[in-house]
Parts: sequence; structure tokens; C-alpha cells
Amino acid sequence: MSTTSAAFRLSGVDVELGGRSVLQDLSLEIGAGEHVALVGPSGAGKTTLLRTFTGVIGPRKGCVEVGGVRLDQLKPEALRALRAKIGFVHQDHSLVPNLRVSQNVVAGRLGQRGFWSALRSMMRTKSADLQEVHQILERVGIGDKLFQRADSLSGGQQQRVALARALYQQPTCLLADEPVASVDPARARSLIRLMVELAKEDGWTLVVSLHDLELAREFFPRVLGLRHGKVAYDGPPSELCREQVQELYHLEETAFGESR
Amino acid sequence: MAKAADLSTLGGQTSTRRTRVLTGILAAGVFAFLSLGLGHSGLSPKGDGSVLVAEFFSAALQPALDYEPGDFLPDSAPPFLLKVVDGLWGTLVYAICAISLSFVFGLLFGVLASESFWATRHKGWGVLRWSIRFLLTAMRSIHELLWALLLLAALGLSPAAAVVAIFIPYTGTLAKVFSEMLDESDARPSAALHQIGVAPAQVFLFARLPRALPDIAAYTFYRFECAVRSSAVLGFFGFTTIGLYLKQSFESLHYREVWTYLYGLIFVVLLLEAWSAQLRRRFVV
Repeated sequence: MSTTSAAFRLSGVDVELGGRSVLQDLSLEIGAGEHVALVGPSGAGKTTLLRTFTGVIGPRKGCVEVGGVRLDQLKPEALRALRAKIGFVHQDHSLVPNLRVSQNVVAGRLGQRGFWSALRSMMRTKSADLQEVHQILERVGIGDKLFQRADSLSGGQQQRVALARALYQQPTCLLADEPVASVDPARARSLIRLMVELAKEDGWTLVVSLHDLELAREFFPRVLGLRHGKVAYDGPPSELCREQVQELYHLEETAFGESR
Repeated sequence: MAKAADLSTLGGQTSTRRTRVLTGILAAGVFAFLSLGLGHSGLSPKGDGSVLVAEFFSAALQPALDYEPGDFLPDSAPPFLLKVVDGLWGTLVYAICAISLSFVFGLLFGVLASESFWATRHKGWGVLRWSIRFLLTAMRSIHELLWALLLLAALGLSPAAAVVAIFIPYTGTLAKVFSEMLDESDARPSAALHQIGVAPAQVFLFARLPRALPDIAAYTFYRFECAVRSSAVLGFFGFTTIGLYLKQSFESLHYREVWTYLYGLIFVVLLLEAWSAQLRRRFVV
């Protein structure tokens, strides 16, 4: 293969879910350390694409490479080790609600521990580990919530815990799937800003899917527009003109709305 | 106006199916009543029955605080109220032994019988899962009183017989309900851990299980309450629970003593209820 500097490379990827074609002949490359916003209408395949990046969803056709390694050639343990180094923030409900914040963050490293060490870390976290978790929570601005139950926090704070869990993984990449869809606009903006700052500080590759095109424009040098499982736009947000946005989001003409 | 759409293609036939099912259930109920010849005449007391009933319920207003005259009392007999406490304590001890064993094995079998535990593993393990489910059904389809009869024949009147008699069907019930609680608990936290490379066994242990644990604890408390009742009834066979004393007093027609025992039992169940409600409110894993 040519370069190994690509964090993610897809070549001719087809993905089907439940008999429906979600990604079609998709080829794209995301360089290590790049910050990319993934935009497009609901059902365009953004979530599927992010899950394909880590092999949680396997393609029917084509090839997915992460850091120059083909996912289909990895054994299950190697695939898990690879995922353990890729942080992932979901839209919501990704924390165990009746565990403490500290336990939810510690869970970020479960993929890197053996069974007994994992059990120990969850049941009786060492004070050195707790110190580290606390520092990370300070970085995302909720250090005082260390010992609270996860479900006692607001939606925005829970997303910060999810981000802290990703940080605790010490990842090389962070993928985020609509991380601010359930957060109010003001907090959404500060959360995305935080993600981008952390990505810069720690040198992560960052791919965030977003509903809000304004956030994508403000924080990301590269925007990937997805429509019907294909790349409809790929470039800097400054060149994304109004016609292209309409093309990306426009509804197909039917009687009252979307046809698919 | 647009042409009227054929709505039957949208699932309209479900309503006729519902009518059929409801009619069937109703018919089964009517048939059952008729086959037993139930009527209001069955509820009116026969012979001395009404006197007995009146005597029994009037005793409810004046529960005994001491032995009623006519009780056979050996010298070693404790004061009556102490005997009540002793009977209640015995009832609790049997119930505690049985429910704690049932909880441990119920959780183990519940995990093994759940769909989510095996979801990521080879299909061949399904055989084990289904055999466990079958075993659990067999355990709980026989009531603890029947188990007690069998075990009394085998082990005699040893406390172990009573504990095992409660343990078997309770484990079957706990495991079945636990497995359903595990399968129905929110899958999204588990999916999030799977996404970051956590192995299936640990995903189950650290996401699915803790998510289901408050429900599991609440249900175990409820079954503990049931075990207290079962333990009391097992006294009828001669185990030293409140049921034994209750039966003896009842056979001597000492209804005032019977009511003291019953009030004691109700008090214990209420106490447990209050305790479990408080624990549930404060539950943190």
C-alpha cells in the first residue's frame, strides 16, 4: 500500500444493514491528525460509516484500513486492541447510569486490561488511577462530579463523562456520533470546542458527525458531506456553497416529504 | 376525493384476532367456573361452621398475651410471647438460608440462561442454555410444599430438608426472572463498551449486569418476603417455624394464640417491606 499516514482509508466499501444498502462503493481517506466533520441528512449513513471505521460493522465489499492495517485480516483480539485505542462518543445513553462517574471513566481502559485487573479497577480503583481520572475530569470541566452517579448528571455533563472515558483510553483517534444532538445549543458549542482543543493537544485524528452545519463550519477544516451512502461533498467548509448545501439536504420531491 | 385505500393491508386484521383471543380467554374462565359448579351456596358455612367462624374472628380483637388455659405446658416452656418471638426468628432463619443460596445460584443460572450472555459466542452453546432453561422450569414447576414432602421422606425432619425445599423452586424462579431482566436491560451502554474493544465477558459484567442490578435486588427482596411465608407454612410439617406453633394452637382451638402468631408474621413482613423500600431508594452499585 502507498502511504501509512492515513488514519482511516476506505476503498470501494459497500455496507448493507438488514438488507438495505447503507454505504455504496465508498472510497475516502482521513489522514492522521486530521479534523473532519461528517454532515448529511438523517439516514445518509453517518453512523454506519463511523462504525465501519472500527470494524463493528463489516463491509460486504471493499476494504477498510486503520493506520495502514486491513481490518478484515485481523484476529478478534487484535481488532479489540485496535478499537481500544480509538475513542468513541455516542449521541447519548452510552454510560452505565447507576455506576459512578469514576467507574464509567475507568471503563475506558477495560479493553486494555486482563479480566482480573479489569475487575479490580472497577470494584476498587487504585488511588493513583483515581487521581488520573480526576485530572481528566478536570480537563473536561467536571472534576467535582468524580463520585456521583452518572444518571444524576445533566445530558451535557454526561457527554463530558463520555469524553473523559475516551480520554482515559489514551486514544490516537476520537470518533463522535452526533455527540451534541441531545445537548442545548450553547453547551453543544462549548462541547465541540472542547473536543477540538483536546484533539489538538493530544494529536488525535478527530471525526465528528454533526447535524448543525454551523458548528462544522466553525470548528473543522474539512467537511465530508454524505448523501445516500455516497460522498456528496469533500472539502473545506469555506467552499461549501449554498447550492451544495441544498443539494446535500434537499428532500426528494414526493407528495409531502422525504421518500427515503 | 382520493380513492378509499384498502386499509386491511395495514394490519386491520389484528382487531379480529384480538376479539378471538379475548373470547377464548373468557370462554375458558366460564368453563372453569361451570366445571366446579361454583355458586353462592358454596360460600355459606355448613353445620357448626358459622359458630366456628364467629369464634375465630372475634378472637382477632383479643390476641393472646399468655398461654390460653388448657395448654399442655412442660416446666421448660418459655413465656408465651417469647415463644412467638422464637417462632418468628425460626421462620426468618429458614427463609434467610434458603433465599441467600437461591440468590447465588439464581444469579449464576440467570446469567447462563440469558440470551445476552451467549449472544457473541458460538451457536453451539445454545444447547447448554436451553438445557439450563429446561432445568429451571422443572425446578419451579414443583411447589416448595411438594418438594418438602419428597425431602421429608428422604432426609427426615432435618432443617436441611426445609431449606432445600424452598431453595429449589426459588432458584428456578429467581434465575428465570434475572435472565429476563438481564436481556431487557438497556443495550446501549454495552454497545458503547463493545465499540472501544472491551471483551464480551467484561461488557456483560461491567455494563449489562450493573444496569440490571437494581431490578435484580428489588425482585430478590420481594422473593425473600415470599420465602418468609413459605418457611412459615413449612412449619405445618413439623419444622420449628411459626407455622408449627400456629398449627398446634389451631388444633387446640386456641384462636387467640393463633391471632398473636398471625399478627407477629404480618409485623415481620411489614418490617421487611419497609427495609427493602429504604434500600431500594438508596441503591448505588
